[in-house]
Amino acid sequence: MDFEAVKDQWNEVEDRDGVRLSWNVFPSTRMEASRLVVPIGALYTPLKEKPDTPLLQYEPVVCKQPCKAVLNPFANVDIRARIWICPFCLQRNPLPPHYKDISETAIPPELHPSNTTIEYQLARPGPAPPIFVYVVDTCQEEDSLKALRDSLVMSLSLLPANALVGLITFGTMTQVHELGYPECAKSYVFRGSKDYAAKQVQEMLALTTPGIRPNVPPAQGRPPPPVGAAARFLLPVQQAEFQITNALEQMQRDPWPVANDRRALRCTGVALSVAIGLLETSFQNAGARIMLFAGGPATEGPGQVVGPELREPIRSHHDIDRDNIKYYKKAVKFYDNLAKRTAHNGHIIDIFAGCLDQVGLLEMKGLPNSTGGHMILTDSFTSSQFKQSFVRVFDKDAQDLLLMGFNASLEVLTTKELKVTGLIGHAVSLNRKSGSVGETECGIGNTCAWKMCGIDPTASYGIYFEIANQGGPSTMQQGPARGSMQFLTYYQHSGGQYHLRVTTVARNLSGPAGDPSLAQSFDQEAAAVLMSRIAVFKAEVDDGPDVLRWVDRMLIRLCARFADYRKDDPTSFRLEKNFTLYPQFMFHLRRSQFLQVFNNSPDETAFYRHVLNHEYVGNSLVMIQPTLDAYSLEHEGALPVLLDSASIQPTHILLLDTFFQILIFHGETMAEWRKAGYQDQEGYENFKAILDAPKEDARELVQDRFPLPRFIICDAGGSQARFLLSKLNPSTTHASGGYGGVSQTAQTIFTDDVSLQTFMDHLMKLAVSGTT
Amino acid sequence: YPGQQPGMNSMTQQFSQMDMSQKPVSAAPSSTGRPLALNQLYPIDLLNTPFNVAELDYPPPPAILPQNTSVTPSPNANCPPKYVRSTLNAVPTTHSLLKKSRLPLALVIQPYSSLHDAEDPVPIVPDQVISRCRRCRSYINPFVTFLDHGHRWRCNMCNLTNDVPQAFDWDAANQKGLDRWQRPDLNHAVVEFVAPQEYMVRPPQPLVYLFLIDVSYASVTSGLLATTARCIRESLDRIPNADRRTRLGFIAVDSSLHYFSIPRDETENVETSMLVVSDLDEPFLPTPGDLLVTMTECRENIEAFLDKLQEMFQNTQNGGSCMGSALRAGHKLIGPVGGKMTVITASLPNLGHGKLEMREDKKALGTGKESALLQTGNSFYKAFAVECSKQQISIDMFLFSSQYQDVASLSNLPRYTGGQTYFYPGWNAAREEDAMKFATEFSDYLSSEIGLEAVLRVRATTGLRMSTFYGNFFNRSSDLCAFPAFPRDQAYVVEVAIDESITKPVVCMQTAVLHTTCNGERRIRVMTLALPTTQTLADVYASADQAAITTYFSHKAVERTLGSGLEAARDALQAKLIEMLSTYRKELAGGNMGGGGLQFPANLRGLPVLFLGLMKNLGLRKSSQIPTDMRSAALCLLSTLPLPLLIQYVYPKMYSLHDMPDDAGVFDEQSGGIALPLPCNLSSERLAPYGLYLIDDGQTQFLWVGRDAVPQLVQDVFGVPDKTQLRVGKQTLPVLENDFNERVRAIIAKSRDHRSKGVGSIVVPHMYVVKEDGEPGLRLWAQTMLVEDRADQGVSLQQWMGMLREKVMQ
Ligand SMILES: [Zn+2]
Ligand SMILES: [Zn+2]
Repeated sequence: MDFEAVKDQWNEVEDRDGVRLSWNVFPSTRMEASRLVVPIGALYTPLKEKPDTPLLQYEPVVCKQPCKAVLNPFANVDIRARIWICPFCLQRNPLPPHYKDISETAIPPELHPSNTTIEYQLARPGPAPPIFVYVVDTCQEEDSLKALRDSLVMSLSLLPANALVGLITFGTMTQVHELGYPECAKSYVFRGSKDYAAKQVQEMLALTTPGIRPNVPPAQGRPPPPVGAAARFLLPVQQAEFQITNALEQMQRDPWPVANDRRALRCTGVALSVAIGLLETSFQNAGARIMLFAGGPATEGPGQVVGPELREPIRSHHDIDRDNIKYYKKAVKFYDNLAKRTAHNGHIIDIFAGCLDQVGLLEMKGLPNSTGGHMILTDSFTSSQFKQSFVRVFDKDAQDLLLMGFNASLEVLTTKELKVTGLIGHAVSLNRKSGSVGETECGIGNTCAWKMCGIDPTASYGIYFEIANQGGPSTMQQGPARGSMQFLTYYQHSGGQYHLRVTTVARNLSGPAGDPSLAQSFDQEAAAVLMSRIAVFKAEVDDGPDVLRWVDRMLIRLCARFADYRKDDPTSFRLEKNFTLYPQFMFHLRRSQFLQVFNNSPDETAFYRHVLNHEYVGNSLVMIQPTLDAYSLEHEGALPVLLDSASIQPTHILLLDTFFQILIFHGETMAEWRKAGYQDQEGYENFKAILDAPKEDARELVQDRFPLPRFIICDAGGSQARFLLSKLNPSTTHASGGYGGVSQTAQTIFTDDVSLQTFMDHLMKLAVSGTT
Repeated sequence: YPGQQPGMNSMTQQFSQMDMSQKPVSAAPSSTGRPLALNQLYPIDLLNTPFNVAELDYPPPPAILPQNTSVTPSPNANCPPKYVRSTLNAVPTTHSLLKKSRLPLALVIQPYSSLHDAEDPVPIVPDQVISRCRRCRSYINPFVTFLDHGHRWRCNMCNLTNDVPQAFDWDAANQKGLDRWQRPDLNHAVVEFVAPQEYMVRPPQPLVYLFLIDVSYASVTSGLLATTARCIRESLDRIPNADRRTRLGFIAVDSSLHYFSIPRDETENVETSMLVVSDLDEPFLPTPGDLLVTMTECRENIEAFLDKLQEMFQNTQNGGSCMGSALRAGHKLIGPVGGKMTVITASLPNLGHGKLEMREDKKALGTGKESALLQTGNSFYKAFAVECSKQQISIDMFLFSSQYQDVASLSNLPRYTGGQTYFYPGWNAAREEDAMKFATEFSDYLSSEIGLEAVLRVRATTGLRMSTFYGNFFNRSSDLCAFPAFPRDQAYVVEVAIDESITKPVVCMQTAVLHTTCNGERRIRVMTLALPTTQTLADVYASADQAAITTYFSHKAVERTLGSGLEAARDALQAKLIEMLSTYRKELAGGNMGGGGLQFPANLRGLPVLFLGLMKNLGLRKSSQIPTDMRSAALCLLSTLPLPLLIQYVYPKMYSLHDMPDDAGVFDEQSGGIALPLPCNLSSERLAPYGLYLIDDGQTQFLWVGRDAVPQLVQDVFGVPDKTQLRVGKQTLPVLENDFNERVRAIIAKSRDHRSKGVGSIVVPHMYVVKEDGEPGLRLWAQTMLVEDRADQGVSLQQWMGMLREKVMQ
C-alpha cells in the first residue's frame, strides 16, 4: 500500500471538490460502522475557489420529487433512451429536450467525470445589492478611534459601487445615522439601558409607517418623501460616498463623562439589536453584514457583560466554572436570541474586537457562529493585525467581485446506505427532514439542510454520517457497490445572482467484515480535524474533563481496533502508516487552547474555537499541532523540527506557527549576537541572512492567513517566549530530568503536563489491555 | 362729511367735564384731631344719568392721607395706581364693616409697566443697604417713622422699633456721608433694591430660552416653523444678553424629539447635528453637552441652524405631536439652571406624556357640558407645571392650531409657572397680516426683559392679611407666590382680609418682588401703598375703584368658571352686582326713600356695564358658537391682563372716525403723542350708517364701515373708489397721500400703543375691515363687542339695568 500516493489522491479530491473524508471507503453495515470509532465525516468547503471549472449558465437538471438530486457524473445516462438514472433514488428521469444533441463524445460539463463539483449561475437575481452596516463603538481613545475611522473610510473604496452602507455608533447610547438626510448630520438616538423590541426599533426609526398624520389629507402636488430604510439609512456607496465619508469622519468619541474608577458606559447590546431591527423589515433575506467594532465590553443595558465599576473584573473561566457570574447567563440568552433573529433574517454579524481586555466575545459568540460572520480578536484598532484582517474581509476574485456569498443553504443528499447525522460549523439548522436524515445526532442534526447567512471560499463545515441498518449492497448496481452523497449549496453570489454549487461524492462500500480496505482508507488528518470539531462542540456544553476523557477513550478505542499488537504487550504495539500521526494530533488537541481553556480568557477561547470551526483540514491541523521550523548556520533554510522542548537550541532560531501566532524565537546564543549587533557588521552577512530568513518565511505564511496572526519576535529567556514554551511537548520538564537522552542544552519546561512519550506509553498500555 | 351729527360729540365732552371723580388731593388740609375728610360720596341715579365710557379712563378715587404721613414730602411717597391699585382707597377698620359693604378688598398688582426697564425706570437703591423690620421683614419705606434722633425706626406695618443700619447714611462708593432724606427708599414708594449675597440661594442663573418647536405637518405647512425660525434669527440681537451669558436651546417636536447639538463658533470640523429621540417613555438627553448653548459663543452656528431649520422638515408627513414628552425632556435639559421653555405649536399633543384627546363636541357648546371642556383634560399639565415651578422653569405657550388644540389643558403650563398663553387661531403665514402679527409679537416677546427665580410677597399693617392670590404663578406657601420667570405683561390680584380691627388712620401694604434680572443681578422691587382707614360705609363706597373691582371679579369669574362652570360664574357676577346695589340702596341711599331710580355712587357708575361686559366677554358669554379653545384663551386673558388692558377687553374702545375733531389723529404737544378722539359707548345706536368707526378690545381691532359710507371716505381711507370694491377682513390700511388716511392710521396705531396705557404687552391686534352690509359672520363678530346691544343670548344695557333695578327693588 503506497500511502503517499493515496494521500496525494485525497489532496487531489480536496482540490477538486473541497472535501476530505475521515474514511474513504464506507462500511457496508451498521455493525462495521460502529467499530470505526471515528465517524464517517466530510470536511467540506462548499465555495472553494475553482477558477478552472466552468460556471454553468443554465438551470441544473434535477431528479424527480422528492429526491431532487442534481444530475452528476455518477448518474447512469442512457444516451440513446435519453434518460438518466439517479444514483440516489434510482429513479429514471428523462433528459430535458435541449440535451438531445449529447453523445458519448459530447457530454454536458456536469456529466464530465472530473466535474464532480460544478457551479450553476441561476437566473434568479439576489433581492438587493450587498449591505454593510458598520456598528462602531465610540468609547475609545482618540488614536484608536481615528485608526478605526481611517480603516472604515478606506473600506468604502473596497466595496462594490452599488453596495449599501449604514452607520450606527454607540457608547452610552446608540445612534443610527440617517446618512441620506441632506440638511445636517442627523441620527436617531436609542437609550443604552433599554431592551428595545424589534417593532419599537422600527417604529422609532419611522420605518414602519409613512407618518402618523391624523385628519390631514395627503399633500397635493408633492411626492411623499422616501421613508424606507434604504433611502434614509442605507445609501449606495457610489452615490453617497461623500455623505458616508463625512459621517465617518465626524464620528466623535462618546461625549459622556467617565469617572476614573469606572468603565465607559457601552451599550453594545442595544446597538446590535437596533442594527438588526434596521435591516429586519426592509431587507429580509437580502445579503447584509452587520460589522461590529467593539473597543471594550458592554457595560450597559441588555447584553451587559461586566459592571461599569472598574473594581469589578470581567468574568474569567474560573468564575464561570464556579458559577460566580453576574451577567453571563442573561447576556448569553440576549445575544443568542439576537443571533437567532439575525440568522432567520439572513444577515451576517461580524465582530471585530480591538481591545487589550475582553469585550464579551464569549457571550456574543452566537452572533457570528450562527450567521457565518467573522470574529476577529485584536489588541487595538491601531494594530496592523486589525487593519489587515479587516481589509481581507473585502478580498475579491478575478472578476473583482467580493469573495463572499450570502444567504446560503447547504443540503445533503445521500444514497440509502448513508444518513447524515449533523453538521459542525457556522450555520443554523433549516430543520428539513428527508430520507437522508439519520437517527443519531452529531453537531447540528435532525436535518438535511443548513443555512449560512454568510459564507466565503474558505468556510469549511464538518458533516457527519452514519450507516443505515440494512442488508448487503444493492443488486441494481454493477461493479463495486458505492455509497454517495451530494452537497447542494445554493447562495447569493456577490455578483448579484443566485448560484448553485453541486458536489457529488461517491465511495466504495467495504466488502465483507474485516475488509482491510476500510482501515487503509482512513485519512488521519481529516479524522483529527473532524474529531476536534466534535470535541470542541462537546466542550461548549460539557465539562472540560469529560471532554478530555472522551477524546482519550476514542483514541484508545481507535488504536485498540486498528493497531497491531499482542494483547497486554505494549511493546508489540504498531500502527499503520496512515494512523501513526493520529495519536499525536490527539495529544496536541488535548493540550490545545481549544480544550485547555484556563490559560486563556473566555474571549480568546471563543475566538479560537470560532476560527477552528471555519477552517479546512490543513489550517486546522496547524491550529491543533503547530509547526516548528529551525534555522541555523549549520544548514540552509528552514528545517522542520519536532514540536518539542528538545528543539530549543542556543544556536537555533525557531519559527513557530500556531495559526493564531507566528513566533520567531532566538536561541540564547543567537539572541546575544543579535543584541551585540553582529548582523549590521561586515563579514557577518550569513548571520544577518539567518536572522532574516524566518521573517521572510513568516511573511510567506501570513500571505493568505485570515485573520492575520499575531506576530511575536522573542529571545530565549524573554517573557514572550512563554508563547513558544506552552506549545512544546514537555519532553524535558523539571520532573523528567535527563530522561530520554535529550540534549543537556535543551530548555526545561516548567509544566505538569505529561510529555508525548508518557502519553504514548499510557496509550499503548491501555490499547493493548483491551479494557476499554 | 355730510350728515355729521353734532350732538353726540358735544354730549361726550359735556360728560367729561362733569367732574364726578375727585382729582388727586396733593395736600389735603387737615389739622390734627379732626377726622380727615376722605373722598366725598356723590350719589347718582344709574337710570337717569347713564354711564359714559370716558369715565373708564379716569384715575381711581385717590388715597387721601393725613399730612406728614410720609417721612419725606416727596410727591412719589405713595404708590401710583399704575403699579398697585386697591379696590378700596379707604380701608374699613373692621372686618364687619368690610363685610357689610359687600365690596371686595383686594389689590391689583402690576409690578412692571413696560417690557423694558429703560421705558419705565424705577429708582434704584444701589448701596445694598437694605433696612428691614426684624419682625415682619418689611422693607424700609416712606411711611416709617424715625425715633431716637434718627437712630431707630418704627415699622409702619408691625410697630416694632428697629435700629437704623450703620451704613444707612454713608455713601460707600464715594466714601462720604449721605443725606438720609435723599435716599430713594424714603422718597419713593416704588424702588428697587440691589440685593446682596444673602438674597440668593445660588449664584444668579443665566437667562435661558429653550424653544420647543412643532415641526409636524400642520406647523410646516402653515408656515409656522419657517416664521418662527426666521423671527428668532432676526431677534437674536434683541434677546437680553447684557451679561453675555444668555443660553439658547432648541427641540423640534413631531412624533419624535429632535435635539440639536450646536458647536461653538470656533470649533473646527464639528457641525450642528440633529439627534432624534423617538423613545418617549422616559425622557433622556441624547448627549451631555451642546444642547443648551451660550448665544455669544455660538452666534454664527445658531444663525446657520435657524436658517436651515425650515428646510430640515420641509417634506414632513408627520402628524404626531409628543409635546408633553418634549416638555419633560426640556425639563431635564434646563432643570439644573432653570429658565424659559417657549412652546410654539400648531398641534394637539397626541402622543407620549400628557397625551390629549380631541374632546370638543360642537353639540356640547352652550350647554352645561361645555364647562367640562374648559377644565384640564389630563392631570399631567398641572402636576408637571408645579414640577417646573420647583425647578425654576417657566413655560410660555404660543398656540396656532387650525383645529381643536385643547388650550384649556395646555394653558395650565403657563398658569402655574408665571408664563402666558398666546393664541393664534387659524393662523397661516401665507396671510401677511398673520405672519407680521406673530413675528412682531414674538420678537417683542424675545426682547422683553424678565425676572428670574422670582418670588412675590405682600406684607401689610398688622390686622390685614393677604388671603387669596390670583394670577399665573405657583402659590408656594400661604403668602408666597413663586415665578420661575417674572413677566412684564401681567397683573395679579391679592385679596386682603381684615383679621383684627385697625386703630391706625393709615394702613400700608407692601409688595416685594425678589428676582434676578436678566443681567444676572439680584434685586427686590418694593411697592408700598398707604391707604387711609375709615369707619364709615360712605367713605368705603366713595373710595371704591370700579376698574379694580372689575379686575378682581374677572379673576373670581375665571376661577368660578374653571371650578363650577360658566353658568355659575355668570350667576355669581350678577348676584354680586345686585348685592352691592342692594347694600348701597339699603345702607346709604335711604332704602326705598330713593325714589324709582337705581342709586349708586358716581365713582362706581361704570360697574354695572363693566359687569355686563364681563358676562358678555368671549370667555364667559352664553353662546353655543364659541369654540372651546377661543374661550379658554379668553379666560387666560381675563385672569392675566394688566388692568387697563383688561378693562378695554371687557369694555372695548370705540372711536368715531368720520366725524372726529380736527385735533384727533395728530400729534398733541401736551400729551406728547397722538391725540385720540373721545371714545363712544358700545351701542349700535352710536353707529351712524354713513360712519367709520374703530372698535378695539386690545386683542382685535375692527374698522367698521357704515352701509352708507360715502365714496370719498372710502377713497380717502382705503384708496378704493367705492365701498363695493372694499375688501373686508384682516388687513393693513394702505399708506395714502391724504391727511385723513394718515390720521386714521395714526389712531389705529395709537390705540395699539401699550406704553401710553402704562402697560407692557407684546400684543399687536389684528385689524379687520367690516362692512355693515358685508360678510355677516364678520359683522356679527364685530357686533359682539357692542356690549350695550342686545345680541345672541345677551341682554342689552337697558334690559340689564331694568333687570338690576327689579332685583334690587325686591
Ligand atoms: Zn433521485
Ligand atoms: Zn415690622
